[in-house]
Amino acid sequence: MRASLFITCYNDTLFPETGRAVVALLERLGVELSFHAGQTCCGQMHANTGFRGEAFSQAKRFVHLYRDAETVVIPSSSCVAMIRDQYPGLFDELGNESLRKEFAALLPRVYELSEFLIDRLAVEDVGAYFPHRVTYHASCHGLRALHLGDRPWRLMAQVRGMELVQLPNLDRCCGFGGTFSVKNGEVSSAMLAVKLQDVVSTKAEYCTALDNSCLMHLGGAMHLQYAGMKTIHLAQILASTEASPAEVTE
Amino acid sequence: MSHAAPTHPVLDPALAPPFPQAALPVLRNPQLRKNVAHAIDVIQAKRARLVTEKTDWQELRTAASAMRAHVLENLGAYLTEFETKCTAAGGIVHWATDAAEARQIILDLLRKENASEVIKIKTMTSAEIQLNPFLEAAGIGTYETDLAEIILQLGGEEPSHIVVPALHVNRSQVREIFARRMGIKDLSDDPEALTAAARSYLRQKFLTVPTAISGANFLIAETGSVAIVESEGNGRMCLTLPRTMITLAGIEKVLPRYQDLEVMLQLLARSATGERMNPYTSLWTGVTPGDGPQRFHVVLLDNGRSSMLAREVERQTLKCIRCAACMNACPVYRQTGGHAYGSVYPGPIGAILTPQLMHMHHAQSLPYASSLCGACYEVCPVKINIPEVLLELRHQVVDQERKRAGRIFDPMYLGLRIANLIFSRAWLFHAAQRMARIGLRCFTRKDGWIHSLPSVGAKWTQTRDLRGLPSQTFHEWWAARRKEAR
Amino acid sequence: MSASATSRQRILDSIAATTRPVAKAPAQLAEGYAALPRGYQRIGQLSAEACVERMIERLREYDAEVVESTPDQLPEAIATQLGSSGRHTFAAPVGLPAEWYAAGFNWKMDSSLETAEIEKAEGVVTAAFCGVADSGTIVLHHSAMEGRRVLSLLPDWHLCILLASQVVETLPEYFRRCPQPPALATFISGPSATADIEMTRIKGVHGPRFLHVILVHDEGDARPTPQ
Repeated sequence: MRASLFITCYNDTLFPETGRAVVALLERLGVELSFHAGQTCCGQMHANTGFRGEAFSQAKRFVHLYRDAETVVIPSSSCVAMIRDQYPGLFDELGNESLRKEFAALLPRVYELSEFLIDRLAVEDVGAYFPHRVTYHASCHGLRALHLGDRPWRLMAQVRGMELVQLPNLDRCCGFGGTFSVKNGEVSSAMLAVKLQDVVSTKAEYCTALDNSCLMHLGGAMHLQYAGMKTIHLAQILASTEASPAEVTE
Repeated sequence: MSHAAPTHPVLDPALAPPFPQAALPVLRNPQLRKNVAHAIDVIQAKRARLVTEKTDWQELRTAASAMRAHVLENLGAYLTEFETKCTAAGGIVHWATDAAEARQIILDLLRKENASEVIKIKTMTSAEIQLNPFLEAAGIGTYETDLAEIILQLGGEEPSHIVVPALHVNRSQVREIFARRMGIKDLSDDPEALTAAARSYLRQKFLTVPTAISGANFLIAETGSVAIVESEGNGRMCLTLPRTMITLAGIEKVLPRYQDLEVMLQLLARSATGERMNPYTSLWTGVTPGDGPQRFHVVLLDNGRSSMLAREVERQTLKCIRCAACMNACPVYRQTGGHAYGSVYPGPIGAILTPQLMHMHHAQSLPYASSLCGACYEVCPVKINIPEVLLELRHQVVDQERKRAGRIFDPMYLGLRIANLIFSRAWLFHAAQRMARIGLRCFTRKDGWIHSLPSVGAKWTQTRDLRGLPSQTFHEWWAARRKEAR
Repeated sequence: MSASATSRQRILDSIAATTRPVAKAPAQLAEGYAALPRGYQRIGQLSAEACVERMIERLREYDAEVVESTPDQLPEAIATQLGSSGRHTFAAPVGLPAEWYAAGFNWKMDSSLETAEIEKAEGVVTAAFCGVADSGTIVLHHSAMEGRRVLSLLPDWHLCILLASQVVETLPEYFRRCPQPPALATFISGPSATADIEMTRIKGVHGPRFLHVILVHDEGDARPTPQ
């Protein structure tokens, strides 16, 4: 099995440990990974802010970079949702026939990480060991756009040593929303405060998710408020073993 | 004459401040936020239970969505069918292109009736056209009869929700308003006592005021009938006791056949109030001799709606049946309540409806009043893809604003345009990462976190820290690893 | 041409212009309508008996008082209900069977009573057109047995006689019983209610505060009648 890793712009810049974990995890499972040096961004930030032309140019780049990939794996549910839900409209409106065809051929080979593990590799037990109390935040895009369903739960259930605590109001947004967190900073912060209460109530050591953007938002508030809890991408938990425990940023 | 508060403010999208600014007073009012969160948490829990119980919920949504789309695609045919049937049954149909025309038609009808007072069933459409202040200014006393609307009217408050318009007002505030405006001493704040006070306050009005105004939940093309969905019975009072009834309805409210209510009524109450069925749904057709008003007028209101039909994305907006499930599910609304939306239509549906009703000349901040979490789409009984419409409207707003010179220097616009340039070449992206790493170094504390940033960044750091940039990006790590392996 | 007539044309022209690419030709409109998806449950799955039971259960959930009766015992059941209400003056439509007007009460028979007269009634007795078990809904079409709309509205206490044979399980089944749409219809699900103050459900705002139902086991329902 060969897969091309689209790490996404913010993971590349801010969360390289998540990328390293994806590499460790997938190589452990026998996947031959490649990384296209030309990759930058999926265009989500522009698309969600209304900059459609700019988003289109990123979308086009994505298709050109990955059209020959056997599979593309992306450890960010919101970026996958961008590709699945917004690229078709962008290409209908601004693209040409050949671009639409290329994209249609590529799309079924684009996977979010948990989809790739469950649907493509058909594996639930990835051999992970993570002896901590953890709560899972189901990011809105994973929940309602990708319909990840029980995939993350099936993966987490097999992690040895991990105590999983249910997060109350699981389906409620954390308030990040990309540029929303800045354009409507006060409202975003109020939503975050509500979410943080729920997260803290679990008394978990870690809050995990399949999207570092929510975690950046949550983790930033935890750090500011000395919440005594850390955030960690699920890839890092799944990559973690007794011999090689997860890298955790303090 | 009137019982309206002397200076009743009006939610007017043309005058409202931008959403982020309008939200501030609520965010700083813990009592208000508590009232809003309590109310919608109650409705949400009830709705969730009933939707789970209904095994054909998704099939009902599919049917409703397709039916509403079919109506909108063929709106001209169904509206004229409604007009023909309603007229044949003794109703008189009027058409109003905009709010001003609708107000004038209604005032003229009331003048012909020599009406000095009018009783009203809750209608958001009348709030949309700001009918009450207009009639009051013309010397006609307006009496809202829905309990929530009475609270708002007597308290000089504005609606903050389309189904439970006074959900931001708590019992002690209602007690204060009723005691003051109804002149009742020793009124308790028990909801039962407050409801009883409203009942006796309005009883005489129902029995004596000869003209009434309603909205419409549905217009039935096949029969020319109108349907009203309500809970309290104030609607039935207004629909049966007066001699003249005036119904104001948006042109999108039509359904093809009577039977189609079998879909809509199953969805509406469950979505709106978390009940299997609302206490009362009334349907009438023109004029029935011996039963109810003997003069009946329908005012069909366009007011920006027909222009929303041209494209499929925007057209969806008009599928709405005003159940408010989207605002109950919305995490933004839960924090801000309704007034921040500056329109009688708050929440996610308001965020897409209001700017379009204003022909995109006002309310441009509303499409951004969403984290795009998708909860609204998931609960919508007619499957309006609200996030998709929000994105379309954001795009239209950006296209408008690009043309304005001042925007070139707006930090967000500037940032996004530079970002696009950077993302178009990997080497530029990588150079920008290195520059950011250096640039942010002076903001990064010893613990590796950034506690405060200038400009747009401050919007982030006022409530969140930001992790400082790691010394090595992922692609740098990958390249180094490849080199080692060789 | 009046202003409204001009506006009519303007609105219809605007709709025609915006919907031109998608609007169906008149001949194809019915076809398009017929093709609409209707995958929801249209026919109930419960036995007749279970369906009536659910009707009773859902009525009670919405605070309606329900008693059961056989056709034979109905006049007696009505008299009992009226008696135990502690009320004396009742309104009723003129079309009810004579034996329903229980003796010993003051009856106001309506065909065209003044509103003030109806307002004086302490209660009202009507028949129904249909009962929908799924939501505990009673549908009135306001025939001579169901009364004018105002009749079941003003009195504070409403006794509705519902036959088991009138009860359907799903709302779509009610619509199947309406080959001709009614000119008037009122769907009643429990007594008048509001939750406008802090979402606290309060029974009885403007409509009747008390809804009583006698469920009549016609159609040879074999269950024993409660005492």
